[in-house]
Amino acid sequence: MKDIFRGELVRLAVESPETMAKSLSRWNRDSEFLRLAESDPAQMWSERKYKEWMEQRMEKDGDDNFRFSIRTLGDDQLIGDVSIHPQWVNADAWVGIALGERETWGKGYGADAMRLILQYGFIELNLRRISLALHSYNERALKSYEKAGFKMEGAIRHDTLREGRRTDGVFMGILREEWLALQGGTS
Amino acid sequence: MNDILKGTLVQLAAMDPEEVSKHFAAWNRDSEYKRLLDTDAPRLNSAKAVKDWLDKELEKQGDTMYWFAIRAAADNQLLGDITLDVMSWNMRDAFVGLGIGPRDFWGRGYGTEAMRLILQYAFTELNLHRVTLDVFEYNPRAIRSYEKAGFRPEGRQRGAILREGKRWDVLYMGILREEWMESSTRIEKGKTS
Repeated sequence: MKDIFRGELVRLAVESPETMAKSLSRWNRDSEFLRLAESDPAQMWSERKYKEWMEQRMEKDGDDNFRFSIRTLGDDQLIGDVSIHPQWVNADAWVGIALGERETWGKGYGADAMRLILQYGFIELNLRRISLALHSYNERALKSYEKAGFKMEGAIRHDTLREGRRTDGVFMGILREEWLALQGGTS
Repeated sequence: MNDILKGTLVQLAAMDPEEVSKHFAAWNRDSEYKRLLDTDAPRLNSAKAVKDWLDKELEKQGDTMYWFAIRAAADNQLLGDITLDVMSWNMRDAFVGLGIGPRDFWGRGYGTEAMRLILQYAFTELNLHRVTLDVFEYNPRAIRSYEKAGFRPEGRQRGAILREGKRWDVLYMGILREEWMESSTRIEKGKTS
């Protein structure tokens, strides 16, 4: 069996709360990163608060949340995180991904990590579909998700108000059959 | 949509620790009930001790543990309990266990119907792929009942039980989603076929 935690550019890894907190507090000084990833008001937390938050999250994570960090294969740099949150009865899951290191944006690292998490969702968790949501102004992410195989499913109109402009919350999804077809029978 | 928790003989209901503990304490005085149910050395506990235990156990109810009281459809009498424990969601497999307390309800189809109801719950509500159980070799009545509900024998742990100087096997039985879908014993349109 192949290594399902390893892609072409990145690998899925796990970090200690300390390491993760250090990166998170640095990434979150970048308000663009924050506003692409979240709809909460952009704000900064101390490294210590992130550490405590991570500890609590990791303790709560069980069968209904699988959390990974993303590291580059080249120089083992910690560049982001991704998690998948199954709703078991319907065999559906929500996935969320963020790349904190700007110089890795738009270079396929996110798409590679997304491919790994989709593979994890479909062949390890045996899910039937995977969902995600994003802001309509995050066009780079939209393209990356489409590359990974997600299809547009709908939008909540004007759910975000930022800088005087109302934008949509976009929903995308991928079904198991669609993902299998993309693998071309190689998986 | 039909009431999926109700059959013709029994219905599945909420576990009320206050009420159920009194019945468990009484049923456990019947060592045969206890020895058909599990392999622990039978122990007698006060209703209060059983209630404390139940309070704690029922906290486990959630996304992996589904626990129902079994009640007579006719007069609501408490007859037993049934648990469905999802062993692994990614494999979509659950373990089921059931016990009927009052002896005059043994061998009359009450347990079988409760099992049919929980199978329907497992396959249509939780969308599981298979359900597993174990049963003791010296409990032919249960084995027949499980077969009637659609379970097939899958294997045995030889001599796993030592009781009254004799070794008995623990039998494993299972039912797959496809088998259940095709089985004539499944409950449809709220009726037992």
